[in-house]
Amino acid sequence: MNFTEYAALRVADIRAGLLKGDFTAHELAQAAGDAYQVMDGPLHAFLQPTPGLAQARAEALDQRIAGQSCDAANRRQKGSGTLAPTGQARFTDTVSTGNAFGAHTNHSLLPNNADLRLAGVPIAFKDNMNQLGTRTTCASRMLENYESTYTATCVDRALAAGALPLGKLNMDEFAFGSSTESSAFGTTQNPWDLSRVPGGSSGGSAAAVASGITTVALGSDTGGSIRQPAAFCGVVGFKPTYGVVSRYGVVAFGSSLDQVGAFGRSVGCVAAATDAICGRDVRDCTSQDSAANFEAAALAGVEQGIKGMKIGVVREYLSLSGLEAEVIRALEDAIGHLECLGAHIQEVELPNARAALSAYYVIGPCEAFSNLSRFDSVRYGYRQCGANNLNEQCERSRAAGFGPETIRRVMLGSYLLSSGVYHTYYYPAQQVRTLITQDYQRAFASVDALLTPVSPRTAFSFGEITDPTQMYLSDVFTIPINIAGNGGLSLPVGLGSDSGLPVAVQLIGPQFQDENILRVAAALEARYDIERLAPLYQRLLEAKGEDAYRVVNKRQNANERQRVDEKGMQSNNNERCCPAGQQHLAANNPDPENERGRAKDS
Amino acid sequence: MYLSENEVRDIATYTRIRLNKDAVREMTVYLNEVLDGLKPITQYQLEGVEPTFHPIAGLVNVMRDDVIHPGFSQAEALANAPDEQEGQFRITPILGGEGV
Amino acid sequence: MKELKAVLANWEAVIGLEVHTELTTLQTKMFCSCKIEYGAAPNTHVCPVCLGMPGALPQPNKAAIQSIVLAGLATNCQIQRRSMFYRKNYFYPDMSKNFQTTQGPVAFCMYGGIDLEVTGAAACERDQRQGTRPLASGDGYVTPIGIQRIHMEEDAGKMVHVGGESGRITGADYSLLDYNRCGTPLIELVTKPDLRTPEEARLFLQELRQIFLALRISDCSMEQGSLRCDGNISLRRRGSEQLGAKTELKNMNSFKNLHDGLAYEICRQAKVLESGERVLQETRHWEPSARRTVSMRIKETADDYRLFPEPDLAPYDLSDEFVASVRAMLPELPAARRTRYLSDYELPAADARLLAADNDLAAFFDSALLAASANTDGDLSASGLGGGKGGQAKSVRLVTLAKQLANLLLNDTQAYLNVHNFKLVDTSLTPEHLVQLAALVADGELSSKQGKEVFAQTIKEGTSPRDTVNHLGIKQLSDTDALQAVVNDVLARFPDKVQQYRAGKTGLLGFFVGQAMQATTGQANPQLLNEMFMQTLAE
Repeated sequence: MNFTEYAALRVADIRAGLLKGDFTAHELAQAAGDAYQVMDGPLHAFLQPTPGLAQARAEALDQRIAGQSCDAANRRQKGSGTLAPTGQARFTDTVSTGNAFGAHTNHSLLPNNADLRLAGVPIAFKDNMNQLGTRTTCASRMLENYESTYTATCVDRALAAGALPLGKLNMDEFAFGSSTESSAFGTTQNPWDLSRVPGGSSGGSAAAVASGITTVALGSDTGGSIRQPAAFCGVVGFKPTYGVVSRYGVVAFGSSLDQVGAFGRSVGCVAAATDAICGRDVRDCTSQDSAANFEAAALAGVEQGIKGMKIGVVREYLSLSGLEAEVIRALEDAIGHLECLGAHIQEVELPNARAALSAYYVIGPCEAFSNLSRFDSVRYGYRQCGANNLNEQCERSRAAGFGPETIRRVMLGSYLLSSGVYHTYYYPAQQVRTLITQDYQRAFASVDALLTPVSPRTAFSFGEITDPTQMYLSDVFTIPINIAGNGGLSLPVGLGSDSGLPVAVQLIGPQFQDENILRVAAALEARYDIERLAPLYQRLLEAKGEDAYRVVNKRQNANERQRVDEKGMQSNNNERCCPAGQQHLAANNPDPENERGRAKDS
Repeated sequence: MYLSENEVRDIATYTRIRLNKDAVREMTVYLNEVLDGLKPITQYQLEGVEPTFHPIAGLVNVMRDDVIHPGFSQAEALANAPDEQEGQFRITPILGGEGV
Repeated sequence: MKELKAVLANWEAVIGLEVHTELTTLQTKMFCSCKIEYGAAPNTHVCPVCLGMPGALPQPNKAAIQSIVLAGLATNCQIQRRSMFYRKNYFYPDMSKNFQTTQGPVAFCMYGGIDLEVTGAAACERDQRQGTRPLASGDGYVTPIGIQRIHMEEDAGKMVHVGGESGRITGADYSLLDYNRCGTPLIELVTKPDLRTPEEARLFLQELRQIFLALRISDCSMEQGSLRCDGNISLRRRGSEQLGAKTELKNMNSFKNLHDGLAYEICRQAKVLESGERVLQETRHWEPSARRTVSMRIKETADDYRLFPEPDLAPYDLSDEFVASVRAMLPELPAARRTRYLSDYELPAADARLLAADNDLAAFFDSALLAASANTDGDLSASGLGGGKGGQAKSVRLVTLAKQLANLLLNDTQAYLNVHNFKLVDTSLTPEHLVQLAALVADGELSSKQGKEVFAQTIKEGTSPRDTVNHLGIKQLSDTDALQAVVNDVLARFPDKVQQYRAGKTGLLGFFVGQAMQATTGQANPQLLNEMFMQTLAE
């Protein structure tokens, strides 16, 4: 399978092609590995590739599919039973992906009766998601050597649905940022223009999908961290309503704001991935039962259309300073398309949305301060030695282990929660949250979805925004629904007429009615004939000639170890009081992927 | 000016982050700038408005049954420990070097 | 330093307690499904949640919420339907998340209290008794102790300090952390400052312990730390309403230490105040071996815990059905049991208190009397056994039987358990057998000495007392014809003593009975003998 064939595949194509025997999961994993080898050098979307994990799962999947067709054939010969009517195989593999804490204990690789909606689908995870057999670094020195001790529910569910895990993706440190520049392990480049940021904080997720290395990726969104990078990289990014996807195992930033979601190069891909990971999880008290079928909703959008649906637009948003003309034009085009589709456009007001940014920069840092207190150099994480007492060790370890933006947010939160100050900021921020939530409730009393910009502008260049408070403004359209809890989706609508970079619009739905979003998004998507795949691969080929693919591939293989070292992923920093145990583990592991024997999944 | 450098130093101490003099100065500038941006929150008319601490309306009493699930083995528990001894996490003394 | 009594003559001690109780009878921790077990190998009952691993989220234990509501109902608190968990942020390595999940301004249980009975010697500590009412028996007083709140929280892990001066934190070379205890459900009860003497504090904690034991929400072991108590103490001049500066006293890990620590601290504060100095607001540590309190660290300012509502946990809005279902689980509490034993069985006050205080003994006692009522030919059935309300005619026999039974339980049984270090359930003793034995003694079929003999056999072998009596041929002689011969024989052997008796030395009656008992190798009914000697000598 060559890259073009690989990158053209949607989730539904992979599922069908695999079961029809058009290709094997092994070929998919191989193609994904090749794409990684060629492109991740200049891109740096991945912090830790796991081709071994992907291959192991692919092989198990292929064996089961082969075994299943064999069994089915035998049974047909004996005249006893047939394949399941859906045509989906039943799998009873018992490869363990979890210890006692994964959502599944020793669960089957592909459990009985699982609907394999992600069978063979290459997937990659933001590096704040715990996955046994990988490090979970949150792109922080603090967790540089932190080995996941359990698997996050969203990861577990994706794997249970048959996805092939390609690796862990770069991000802003602890998800604090909008450009992935605050990663302790280097920036990720935007695959449309390597001199620009991919957005953030889930920049690695967006770049990995946009470049074509992976079919889908998971990210987390606290103030726009899925939607904004999706917009910057020209892919679909969907943050469901708070509570739709379990947060268990995803390293927390703002507990009342964080939500896990998916990236893909089509609405259908994102819908399928969300279907696989959503639903109540006993390990997350705020997770909710979900009867929604997002893939069906997306299909309905295409097949049945959205005639008669009411779409709200927020007039006051368009007068916001800093909103670029090409973004406004893109929004107006989208309105035109929606009207063509028979939707009614209606103006709505969100009078309190203006205060959302302030509320966010109170609530987010407060929750983050508390969530990040556990990084104290006692049980795990970076420890700076030489201190006389625990306080000093803790202070020095946190100062050295956390990057500047993390320290800023934690300091801000710590101050805002201090006695006396709490009632000046935190409490009123939560009251403002009530008003913002009521704004949306009022709006959704008369419309089925809202259409807004995602980001005031297209992807900016590295170093272009250095003032943190300026950076915060880039999330002004995405933050309000994290405050209110509603779902939102970033839909690419082509390249900006001025910048030539991807531009997107945002669709927002009522709480727990995210099907509305997917239905409208799929219908709207069909109106645009645009390329979702960034031209990175093509450009690399052009730059290096026809044989570049192979050449690059070979060189990458040879240099793999060194490259990983450069990323700082395996550094043996002698200054650190590295425990014997960790050194032992590291020494035992010549594999650059660092798939540690202790928690191997095969 | 909302915060002085001295206050910022105290916050850093409480937050267990050691900042040198320059870092304290930069942090003070930053915090004051952010706090200025948070003004809208302090100027809102909010009398009688209930706060929303939990974004899912009506979600109450979420509990689990009192049933044991096996946890980590001792080795798993200590797998990421910077230092360990006899199955326990070993740490620098709490009061070491103070007032000596 | 002055004695406590002298101090309390001039000063009024104002004492409040903070009582932490681990809900040790639960299977799992507060926010994760790890097993609760004391003394397990370190870090073997831990998981991502209680180790505070990145990404872990709390899942609250429903049984813990039931337990705290139970505790609130048993201490007359108002159950707050709407409350939340909060995060109390502070850095300390035994709290794995560096915040403790606890409750905020509204606790599950608030504004309760119990009436504390203070009797005997304990009552003497308080000679000024405003605000109390005297006990009906005249032996002590009853004083209401308010409870501000009981809130739900989680315990910390255990830290041991190695090196330096014998395991103390000061001068340690390093410390070791075990998180098995981290996350154990903990309820914190805060009293109003209504206690006035160390004895009241001690008795309050004892009463609370008995209540929690009756509720079966904790094993309440001060030794193992599942029941812990801190005290807040301040002094004020007698007659003054103003509260003085208070100190917080820690490490009072036994009832005796609670009493002695508070007594010491009261005397220390009095000395400070009387010398014209002021009491520093600080936390002090009771050192039982040195019999003193030492300052831990002066509280310069109030702790700033950065408290805010825990976003990972849904708030609570307890339904009427939930509270009603917990109320239905309420057992009879020690105070009610005590009253019942006094009114229904006329047990001596001390016996009633002891029996009511011990769940196992009380349950045994009640089921024994229930068994007796089921087996009897009718004379017990009308007496309202097992919690009958007053108003019904009390059976004389029941009262006799109950007294005998209490005696057997509190003396013979307890002694046996103490000697063998057993619990009641470890023995073969059944309530049916014990009440049978009580009846044999009460009916005069066995002397109390014989009763002890049979008891030993019964508790050891599990045999029925009646079978033992038959088997060993032990039987009390109550045949008056046979006994009259013995009486006549004794009187005939000691004519001089008979004369002295008749001359007024009636104390010799015991001597005659003793002789007769000897003659019957202890099998005669002494009471019957007593009557027969008196009658015969009067003739």
